Amino acid sequence: MNKVFQKKHELWLSISFASYAIKDEAIKSKLYDFSQIAFRHMKWLSSEILKANGNYNYDRDMMLYKRENVFEILEALKDEVKNIQGIYPDNVLGGRIKTDDAYLLEYISTLLKDENNNKPITAFNMQRKFLDKNLPQDQIDALTMFLFDESYKEYELILVYAYMQARTKDITQFDVFQDLIDESHFHLKSFANMMTELGILALPRQLHEMTYIVDDLDQFIKDGIAEEEAAKEMCKELSDAIKDEELSKFFDFINFQENYHIKLMQKLL
Amino acid sequence: MFENVKMPEGMSAETLEHLMNPKNYGKLENPSCIGVALDEKTKEYVIFYTLLDGDIIKDVRFATNGCQDTVVIGSMFSEMIKNNDTEYANGAIEKMHKRLGVMTPQQQICAEIVFSAFLASLKNFENLQAGKEEELHLFKMKESCEAENMGNNDE
Repeated sequence: MNKVFQKKHELWLSISFASYAIKDEAIKSKLYDFSQIAFRHMKWLSSEILKANGNYNYDRDMMLYKRENVFEILEALKDEVKNIQGIYPDNVLGGRIKTDDAYLLEYISTLLKDENNNKPITAFNMQRKFLDKNLPQDQIDALTMFLFDESYKEYELILVYAYMQARTKDITQFDVFQDLIDESHFHLKSFANMMTELGILALPRQLHEMTYIVDDLDQFIKDGIAEEEAAKEMCKELSDAIKDEELSKFFDFINFQENYHIKLMQKLL
Repeated sequence: MFENVKMPEGMSAETLEHLMNPKNYGKLENPSCIGVALDEKTKEYVIFYTLLDGDIIKDVRFATNGCQDTVVIGSMFSEMIKNNDTEYANGAIEKMHKRLGVMTPQQQICAEIVFSAFLASLKNFENLQAGKEEELHLFKMKESCEAENMGNNDE
């Protein structure tokens, strides 16, 4: 079952990053919805694995290829969805996942029939120009480092909290983990879409089990609060450094969200 | 190779490529030895998997929960030592130490944790060869990423 989980994890990332890479708002939004469904598949699979006294990990075997146009992304996604069909469990959950995937395949096929959808992809061109803003190089560099650091961190948080949520019997903990996961999904999406604008979209690197297997929850939460404080500081520094009102407001908004994460995490202590 | 490490200002295309697609990142299935360097204060770690054939480093992988400076330096360093011998790798670290001066203190600590993890893997190999049972070898860093100056590691 770990193999199914691993493939679903990879598919969640593939759908998410297809959504981030494509700029057409309608396609982006629809694919993002499918990615969230795929993430729930992961959650349900993990629950079944643990119920059967099995285990799973976050290993993955994938690359984010620098595709040139929308159809290249969609064709690759279609192949990946088709290839996974044979390994789903033969039960109610497996049936549900297959019908979700069949609908995704139908959607992709519809998109592929219309040549107007085949726009160039600029998410990987490394141009590092942000919209029509003429940011100086030092601000672009600072933004670049921030986005790489924080997109990894949000991906890490999603998976670490999901790992702990799957193992807790405490309702408060379960709820807090869910809130934190939802918040990190939003942050990851926001940062990844900004990386697309800059032409530097990249997969967050794989998590090592040293990161997500937690022996001491209290210590983990205390460390997590310290990390949130650091993230807040990074947002504030970036907001101060970037002389652009729109971007500064966005990073202030993220900064205030981190404040509430700390409150949520304190509930776990 | 490391003359291109200039972060965060003046980021080179090579550095950006290492950020977008770090080389030798992940786990090695059957390594000869494993080393970990840990910053206890920040809980930042680097784990280094090394596959040796005699003195030749046939393959390497590394993983970290650290910052992007650590990732870029790990990616570059692992490319540098792969398919070379351990003597070359030690020399590469020495050369790197000379060049560390151009980096910020924080980046120097990031580099140090990468080298320490690799050296810990070699120590693990040495211990295994001596018949010691050891899953991995751990070096605890003396200087934290939160500190201002770089220092030496400690076992």
